[in-house]
Amino acid sequence: MISISPKILTPGSDIAIEKKLDLTNLTPEQVALDINKLNLFYGKKQALNNITMSIPKGQVTAFIGPSGCGKSTLLRSINRMNDLVDDCHISGEINLHGNNIYDKHVNVAELRRKVGMVFQRPNPFPKTIYENVVYGLRIMGENNRRKLDEAAEKSLRSAALWNEVKDRLHESALGLSGGQQQRLVIARAIAIQPEVLLLDEPTSALDPISTLTIEELINDLKKQFTVVIVTHNMQQAARVSDQTAFMYMGDLIEYSDTNTLFTTPQKKKTEDYITGRYG
Amino acid sequence: MATLVSSNRSRGVKNSLAKWLITLGGISVLFTLVLIFLYLLYVVKPIFESAQIEPKVSITLDLKANDKVLSTGVDELQEVAYQITETGNIDFYHLKASAPKADNQFSVGDNALSMSLFASDDLNQERVTNVVNSFSANKILHTAKGNTVLIQPSFYAKYANDTREIIPQVNYPLGKDSLIIDEQQAPLSNLAFAMDDEKIVFVGFTQDKRLIKTSFIAEDDFSSSSDGEDVEYETIFQQIELLEGKVDEIKVTPDLSLAFIRVASTVYVYSLSDDDEVNLKATIKPTLDNNGTYLTSMALLSGSSSVLLGDSNGQISQWFEVATEAGRKFKQIRSFDARGIEGRNSQTSNAITTIYTEQYRKSFYTMTDNGMVNVFYTTSSAHLWQGKLGSAQPEAFAIAPRANGLIIVDNDSIDGKKTNLQVFSVHNEHPEVTWQALWQEVWYEGYPEPDYIWQSTSGSDDFEGKFSLVPISFGTIKAALYAMLFAVPIALTAAIYTAYFMTPVMRKKVKPTIELMEALPTVILGFLAGLWLAPLMEEYLPAIFLLFIFLPISTLITAFAWYNLPNHWKDKLPETLAPLLLIPVMVLAIYAAFALSGVLELAFFNGDMRQYLTNDLGIDFDQRNALVVGIAMGFAVIPTIFSMAEDAIFSVPSHLTSGSLALGATQWQTLIKVVLLTASPGIFSAVMMGLGRAVGETMIVLMATGNTPILDWSIFQGMRTLAANIAVEMPESEVGSSHYRILFLAAFVLFIFTFIFNTAAEFVRQRLREKYSSM
Repeated sequence: MISISPKILTPGSDIAIEKKLDLTNLTPEQVALDINKLNLFYGKKQALNNITMSIPKGQVTAFIGPSGCGKSTLLRSINRMNDLVDDCHISGEINLHGNNIYDKHVNVAELRRKVGMVFQRPNPFPKTIYENVVYGLRIMGENNRRKLDEAAEKSLRSAALWNEVKDRLHESALGLSGGQQQRLVIARAIAIQPEVLLLDEPTSALDPISTLTIEELINDLKKQFTVVIVTHNMQQAARVSDQTAFMYMGDLIEYSDTNTLFTTPQKKKTEDYITGRYG
Repeated sequence: MATLVSSNRSRGVKNSLAKWLITLGGISVLFTLVLIFLYLLYVVKPIFESAQIEPKVSITLDLKANDKVLSTGVDELQEVAYQITETGNIDFYHLKASAPKADNQFSVGDNALSMSLFASDDLNQERVTNVVNSFSANKILHTAKGNTVLIQPSFYAKYANDTREIIPQVNYPLGKDSLIIDEQQAPLSNLAFAMDDEKIVFVGFTQDKRLIKTSFIAEDDFSSSSDGEDVEYETIFQQIELLEGKVDEIKVTPDLSLAFIRVASTVYVYSLSDDDEVNLKATIKPTLDNNGTYLTSMALLSGSSSVLLGDSNGQISQWFEVATEAGRKFKQIRSFDARGIEGRNSQTSNAITTIYTEQYRKSFYTMTDNGMVNVFYTTSSAHLWQGKLGSAQPEAFAIAPRANGLIIVDNDSIDGKKTNLQVFSVHNEHPEVTWQALWQEVWYEGYPEPDYIWQSTSGSDDFEGKFSLVPISFGTIKAALYAMLFAVPIALTAAIYTAYFMTPVMRKKVKPTIELMEALPTVILGFLAGLWLAPLMEEYLPAIFLLFIFLPISTLITAFAWYNLPNHWKDKLPETLAPLLLIPVMVLAIYAAFALSGVLELAFFNGDMRQYLTNDLGIDFDQRNALVVGIAMGFAVIPTIFSMAEDAIFSVPSHLTSGSLALGATQWQTLIKVVLLTASPGIFSAVMMGLGRAVGETMIVLMATGNTPILDWSIFQGMRTLAANIAVEMPESEVGSSHYRILFLAAFVLFIFTFIFNTAAEFVRQRLREKYSSM
């Protein structure tokens, strides 16, 4: 793994201290997502047990936990990607702007435009870099060339990729390196200006240098978006997140600001996990 | 250690054995493919070779001082040749030495039989002026005093000591006495005749300038006795009114229907079929190159439809009757240039002196004034050979019965003392095939215009083979296209639905079921299509078209209704079984289409759509047509396309679809913009595989197309494909014949078709894969 400089490693970064939030008692303006008594079943197997938590706006929230703990499932529930899984049943609610996204009348496509997602493996479409970035806009019916150009440049700049690809926008995205592809996918996700950006282990398939770049990018992204990241790299959670939720066997064990969770965990299981007893 | 070594050794042996076996297998597959390719080429190659003429035997004839050879001939096996001289003698010569142990020893050039043809006393001392050939073996000798004898040199085989010996003899089908051709018994300067079993027709021009027609009509038939002594016949004498001048040449067609009379540069065609009256049917006046040119010779082509006219400038034109708006008329079809490159520049005369035609084929030989011999074939417009054979003007020239040899009698010295009989072997097996005749329009005898025709055989010997590969290649493409038109939309939508929308449980059942359809023997599909579907379609034609509308619409309506059904209704039926709801709907749609069929016919098509198409719209309707083939072969092709396309769509990585969906795309947008794009190489090769199968498919097209080699895109017309053509005709073609080799060529063309399709498919697929995969 990358050698981590003490400055980044220290969870008590300036921002975290400044804006330490009371996660159990957020004002509605501070909340991006409100998860309420969420239960999720794959067939008969329960994958999430009664999860209740609030994800604050404009911050980076990390889900950590051992493999199979349900952190990815929880993340995928937020933009209803679990709908694609057969035999998946959900009860409880997730509220975005006070509206339950599992409500009957919710347009799933519309929801996913507001809650963007980046996956574990970079998944650019077999199209040009440009077409990848503007894909979300095109499916929304935007065909104005000038607007698309502007959005593409803006998103690529936000994803710190512009300088690397500006000369080859119309070449295949598949020619990019893994790290570049992942930043391209992030650019593609932010091009449609979502409110929440879900990152599902975004660096697990990348090399250390690319990981560092993405992590720096995440720090920038929270200025515009609410970021939720799943990672099983605890250092990464410590480096990039403001809040951390520790999950275990489908339960939300502990949820607090990152500094607190990593330095003074309240639960035995959390401590065992962050000290490396299991995972 | 020991066990380790031995185990390693056995593993090494297995490894290298496997390596060799696999290499051997791979190489033998490639080798076999190349071998098939080469064998096809090997069989096809001879049809594109030009003719070759080589000297075979030459013998010096022993002739009396004042005698001259008038005619010659040979037996079928070219073992005995003969010559007929001015003094009325026939001499047979051996062309092949006897077997060493034969009783009767002879060598090449020995006399086999020598006799006078004038058996009757009153003919003695006469000199023969004309020897007239017919298309059969019969010949007429006409003497200076106006006597005529019909003879037939013939050969039979004798087997003594197990060796074959050809024994020559001369038959007199009408007896040995002189025949009375002219009522006034005047000598004839020109004479032609033709005969069949019941009738002989002579057309002659007397020296006192009367054109006469004389018919012998047998009481019984002419072939009943071999010596002709007992034949009884009735003679009808007729005089033909001649418009002008002196007759130069006369020809009578072997079917006794027409006489061609050449008077200088005009040919008069008389109809001979009426025994009471001879009518002038047509006049042929060829437009000749320049003012000095005139006609020099005339010949009938085998099959009695075409006449060949040679002129003084070395040009030969072919004429036959063509149906025009103003009735049947003789037209110039094509012309041949006997001058060649050499002759065009030379100052010697290129006039055509004689045209000799083969008995069964459309080949002809021309002699020109300067001694050039040319070989042509009319149908293929081929100039097969040019060269000199012996001296400039032979005394006699004959084509061997099997057209594989020539006999030329000529004088090789100036004083005419030494006369040679030369036999040439002719290698001209496939004159009717040229690249042009296979792929371009050809004007066949009796057709109103040049056309692409495939008609390889018929009942008659002198049939003009029509070997255009265009209609059958076209048929292959037409059948494949109609099949693809039917199969591609169904197979691809089914593949998309199964791979992308169907529940996994359902998919596990549906996919193997459709793939099982591929194992259905195509002969069953063809059989059903030809014997059940075709008649059904003919009877319920509107129903078939209604089905193409009803089925998609009813399916869409059902889907829409299901989508809008309240949830508590939906919940009662498991999701996997929901598509089964379509079955009753489809049954109902089919029933409705068939029920409405009659009503529609009554309302719009005067009670019968088929009749309406033919009579009111002028669209020909074959019962076995492209629609039947499209559906039947479509069914055969659907599993192939479905299976591959489904695999391609299903294997689109889920992280791509998730990526698209996560960007707010709907299922449909994801399908169109990501899934189909990524699966495109696979879908493309699925379609091309289907096309390849449709092109090569044999049994269905054999049984359901009607095998009519016509060039017509109409959906209501049949077609004949390359594959079906080979299957239909291979059993009836003679090994080594042109037809046989052309069938191999058809196989080769089919091979090239599939080769091109597959190569193009692979090329495009690779390009698509480079562009869209590496996921």
